[in-house]
Amino acid sequence: MTKLKRMLLAAALGLPFAGQAMAQTKIEGLHVWTSASEVGALKVITDKLKTMGFEWQDSAVGGANGANAQQALRTRVAAGNPPAVMQFLGFEGLGWAKEGVLRSLNDLYAKNGWKAALPPVMLQFLQQDDTFFSTPINMHRQNWVWANKAVFDKAGIAIPTSWDELIASAEKLKAIGVTPIAMSDESWQIEELFESMLIDVNGPDFYKKAAIDLDETALSSPEMIKTFELLGKVRGLHDAGFTGRDWAAATNLVANGQAGMQIMGDWAKGEFLAKGMKPGVDFLCFPTPTATPNYKFVFDTFGGFKIKNADIEKGQDAVAEAIMDPEVQKKFNLIKGSIPARLDVAMDDFDDCAKRSFSDRVAAIKNNAIYGSLTDGFAVEPRFSGVFQDVVGKFFVTDMSAEDAVKSLVDGINNAR
Amino acid sequence: MSRSTPLSNRIENWLPRLVLAPSLLVVLVAVYLFICWTGWISLSSSMIVPKYDFVGLNQYVRLWSTPRWHTAVFNLFVFSTLFLALTTGLGLLMAILLDQKIRVEGTLRAIFLYPMALSFIVTGTAWKWILNPALGVQKVVNDLGWTSFVFDWIAQPTFAIYCVVIAAVWQSTGFAMAIFLAGLRGIDNSVIKAAQIEGASLPRIYRTIVVPMLRPAFLSVIVLLSYIAIKSFDLILALTNTGPGSATEMPSTFMYSATFRRDQMGVGAASAMMMLMTVAAIIVPYLYSELKESRDGQ
Repeated sequence: MTKLKRMLLAAALGLPFAGQAMAQTKIEGLHVWTSASEVGALKVITDKLKTMGFEWQDSAVGGANGANAQQALRTRVAAGNPPAVMQFLGFEGLGWAKEGVLRSLNDLYAKNGWKAALPPVMLQFLQQDDTFFSTPINMHRQNWVWANKAVFDKAGIAIPTSWDELIASAEKLKAIGVTPIAMSDESWQIEELFESMLIDVNGPDFYKKAAIDLDETALSSPEMIKTFELLGKVRGLHDAGFTGRDWAAATNLVANGQAGMQIMGDWAKGEFLAKGMKPGVDFLCFPTPTATPNYKFVFDTFGGFKIKNADIEKGQDAVAEAIMDPEVQKKFNLIKGSIPARLDVAMDDFDDCAKRSFSDRVAAIKNNAIYGSLTDGFAVEPRFSGVFQDVVGKFFVTDMSAEDAVKSLVDGINNAR
Repeated sequence: MSRSTPLSNRIENWLPRLVLAPSLLVVLVAVYLFICWTGWISLSSSMIVPKYDFVGLNQYVRLWSTPRWHTAVFNLFVFSTLFLALTTGLGLLMAILLDQKIRVEGTLRAIFLYPMALSFIVTGTAWKWILNPALGVQKVVNDLGWTSFVFDWIAQPTFAIYCVVIAAVWQSTGFAMAIFLAGLRGIDNSVIKAAQIEGASLPRIYRTIVVPMLRPAFLSVIVLLSYIAIKSFDLILALTNTGPGSATEMPSTFMYSATFRRDQMGVGAASAMMMLMTVAAIIVPYLYSELKESRDGQ
């Protein structure tokens, strides 16, 4: 039934549609979005939901990279009181789907043809045994370099085409008294850098073998040692005050011109935009340098728990429909800094970084060069990505050798299997 | 209990037990039952949610083959030892000095005690800035002209744990001092006077008479500080967030990340059991000896 038909029918029957004058069903959503841009973006979804006759009951649990929200959710599922919908990142949703507590959205997917509208590589995170359980709202790209244009011009640096070139340009930045790379000693931020090197230097196929299939031959290969050696060259290219630095504080060092560049996902873009800086004019965004162009993604999805209540079920469907609405995806991502999950949203209103992200994604899908981010939980389950994080973090802040790093990586992965 | 006891006596016997029963029940359920539950989970294959199967000691093997756990255990040992020794020592020294009938004792006491009123989160955040080489002590000294001065322990994986010790000692010394001071006030002055008449020097009086009399105060301080040391979770999160590169991991932070971030609930439970056994191994004999002696003394 099309929208128009439904409206005509509703008008003919004299029924109030869009839930006006009716008490709106409350739909509780548990999520981790607490920053200004995140809250603003979420409002796009909840406003849409209102027009569909449902009221969003907000349960935001911030902090600890989503661990607190996970804990809250586990407690509530165990108590038999799950929220109507929950935000999932990476493998979280799959874990719950395996427990058999999530509602199937197969009918909606079939009815609306959503499967065809999404990048195929996303689907493995949205379904379990051919049952769709969640809908994606956006896609962040993980492998970006953010640079201060004025600093780059002053140091006379062009956009690097390889990691060796990028590391060599650090000398020029040092010469003009700027910290070459804005970093933190937090393991996950170092891992963002490492996983970009891993795919850039060895190619997407190797990345899949090592970081997704966890193939032991790939993990203990000379390529892996080479990657660690490359990461070792970045030691000392940061400033002394990098201890415990928040990623956003690192982004601000670049924005203020105290540092040349930062390797971070496109959630960093919001920091530049908030300062009124323009992409291409005040700051540069370019993919991490490589001879084999690739795209690493992170995205947010929402899924619904099985709750025996017809109104709630309708609400869960409404949330899925609101999220997959092209207009909602556009408005949401303009605020959030990511790009729409759907492949069919017009990108005219977006900035150059987002447009680049979108066109690179199209190319990467064609070339089989699009994979989930290791750091942000879209490559392997957390117990494995945690091992990468431990080893990479320790390697970077100590004088550990690349061979030892690879050995403890292989041991750690095998221990977590 | 014989039948001849009057009812009032019986009520008197049972009333305290009746009053205490609810809280005893709560403790039994909330503490001991869940300790057993954790023990059971540590023997299961639990990942995201609890599973009640049995895989033997697999999770313990997995735990002890994790290098980060070794770091955590080593750190707990270093941290607890230094923290207990320094806090107890400094606290006792400050209490003795304050006990010398000085003029502004009340003010000083308040100043020394004040850090205890701050949460570990606040302490950790403040010390994070103080110890940061680009913001804190090192920068101040460098700006004053001593440019070669380096104090970047917090950025050094080998020394970062000592930064945690510094912050924790700063936080808890006043608290130890307050307990010792209360203990010192409880000591009869005539004992000290008698010793002085005998011609003993003040340090010797303290060493041989006063400090041994402070045993109950020591017991309280050590038990309370051990508990602070083992659960030192918030301080680590605020000060170093287990960095640099998991160099300041502690069993408590390890347990949290295994259980809630890495979906290894079984490993998390196993680490919790290890912590429990460690605490029990240290505290139980100590408490036993302390309590036994006080009973013998009566």
